[in-house]
Amino acid sequence: MSGAGNREAVFPTRQSLGLMKLKLKGAQTGHDLLKRKSEALTKRFREITRRIDEAKRKMGRVMQIAAFSLAEVTYAVGGDIGYQVQESAKSARFRVRTKQENVSGVFLPAFESFTTEGNNDFGLTGLGKGGQQVQKCRETYARAVETLVELASLQTAFVILDEVIKVVNRRVNAIEHVIIPRTENTIKYINSELDELDREEFFRLKKVQNKKQRDTAAQDAEIIAKRKAGEQKENDRENETSGGGDILGDDEDADVIF
Amino acid sequence: MEGLLYNVNNGYIEGIVRGYRNGLLTGNNYNNLTQCETIDDLKLQLGPAYGDFLASLPPNPSTSTLAAKTTEKLISEFRYLRANAVGSLAKFIDYLTYGYMIDNVALLITGTLHERDTRELLERCHPLGWFETMPVLCVATNIEELYNSVLIETPLAPYFKGSLSHQDLDELNIEIIRNTLYKNYLEDFHNFVNTDSDIAGTPTAEVMTEMLEFEADRRAINITLNSFGTDLTKEKRKKLYPSFGRLYPEGSYMLSRADDIEGVRLAVEGVNDYKNYFDQTGLGQGNGAGAGNMSGGAGGDSKSLEDIFLQREMEISKGAFTRQFTYSIVYAWVKLREQETRNITWIAECIAQNQKERINNYISVF
Repeated sequence: MSGAGNREAVFPTRQSLGLMKLKLKGAQTGHDLLKRKSEALTKRFREITRRIDEAKRKMGRVMQIAAFSLAEVTYAVGGDIGYQVQESAKSARFRVRTKQENVSGVFLPAFESFTTEGNNDFGLTGLGKGGQQVQKCRETYARAVETLVELASLQTAFVILDEVIKVVNRRVNAIEHVIIPRTENTIKYINSELDELDREEFFRLKKVQNKKQRDTAAQDAEIIAKRKAGEQKENDRENETSGGGDILGDDEDADVIF
Repeated sequence: MEGLLYNVNNGYIEGIVRGYRNGLLTGNNYNNLTQCETIDDLKLQLGPAYGDFLASLPPNPSTSTLAAKTTEKLISEFRYLRANAVGSLAKFIDYLTYGYMIDNVALLITGTLHERDTRELLERCHPLGWFETMPVLCVATNIEELYNSVLIETPLAPYFKGSLSHQDLDELNIEIIRNTLYKNYLEDFHNFVNTDSDIAGTPTAEVMTEMLEFEADRRAINITLNSFGTDLTKEKRKKLYPSFGRLYPEGSYMLSRADDIEGVRLAVEGVNDYKNYFDQTGLGQGNGAGAGNMSGGAGGDSKSLEDIFLQREMEISKGAFTRQFTYSIVYAWVKLREQETRNITWIAECIAQNQKERINNYISVF
């Protein structure tokens, strides 16, 4: 065990025993709760890991398609449209909003993407030729960005959950391996101290009893001795005064007191 | 008759262009290219055709630098032709560059509108559309200045005149400006090949009219298809259609009133070729694979309309070489070379991105 010295500095009284017992109970409840929280978080964490894996694979595919659709645009338009698109884009069409999700008391930010309708800044790009490709390429890239946003919220959740799980596990372990043993130790210590005190008390009482008995015995002996001495004297005196007088006479015997 | 004196001035150029045409990649070459595993292999395969131009590329170059280098070859050859051309051929070659100039000017206007430093835009401009006064465009800081003092100095001034005011530059979408200019350019070019005293009545006029009419129709159809779902109104759309071509005037009128792909199909029904294209793509019959080329990643079996148009353009260009004593082979050669660059870029992209199943979407006519 973690050594007899590992206990709290309390006086071994019944009151602190009560306190300690309460504390132990509290610690055990807390431990259970935290353990459950940690399990819930870990479950969530595993799920997120799995989804990150999926999202990353998906991202690879989507980005490949997107890059390829850009190649198609280059083929169809036959030139660089990058500058024109950059210049004609005025406001964001693809936007992201955040919301919070509560998982066992942990707030995970989740990003949600949405497109603003009717915002088509470069709708006319490639009007002469390749316009269809440009639009298609834009859609493909919008899908790619969607995947990226999804991945981003998963990654953020991943990092935050990782941190929280570490903290919770540390607490669980601390309660399990430090606080509970220490409280138990303290309780044991208090109990042993109290037992010790009990035994001492018992022994003391026994001693007292012994002494009392001894004293009583001594007293008795003294009284008996005294009485014997008295009787002797009386007999002597009787013998001296009546000397063979009538035993059944009026003179009474002195009462015998034991 | 034109054959009598043609070679005096233009025989050398024609010889050169025919030589260049033989240097174009053939179907066999493309087959070899599609077998390549890496960009380096591709570079090696392109070695005989492009030689020096690819020599300076680092190992495993990016597809964009590869495209830039192949374009570079086109440009240096084009410049050589231009330097040796005289008379009406020189003017004809100049006309070829105007299309690229329109793109460059549109780029610079975009830059000026957004108050960017237009100097850094110069290197993004297409070298074929380079004209001497182009750097001057960067001097203008606002759009009015650009219009009044700079644009009128450019060869494109006539295309601006009458159809665009400087307020339009501010308000209209740059794509509309670009397409308006392009429409004016096509009309002017068409006019040029049919009225110039040296060209009118020669095979040049004949072949070029066919090419330009095709280009005009293609633009009209594309603009209509691409404008669905955008805020381009029908009146504005109508102004972007060139006023010649096989669809003009009835087809154009119907195009201007089309609301959906079905409407476009009805509009082009008057011209048998285009009707066939639409039937091939299955457009307007409810199961349209999309009007864009290669159906944007969906990868359908049937070719898209733009693919068919490109294929057709290449065939017309190839056909131009069957005629002699004509300037149009220069135009055809430039178009073929551009398509070749696009093909190479496409194959390189497919190799780089490991999308081999689509690699055969290039267009080869030889």
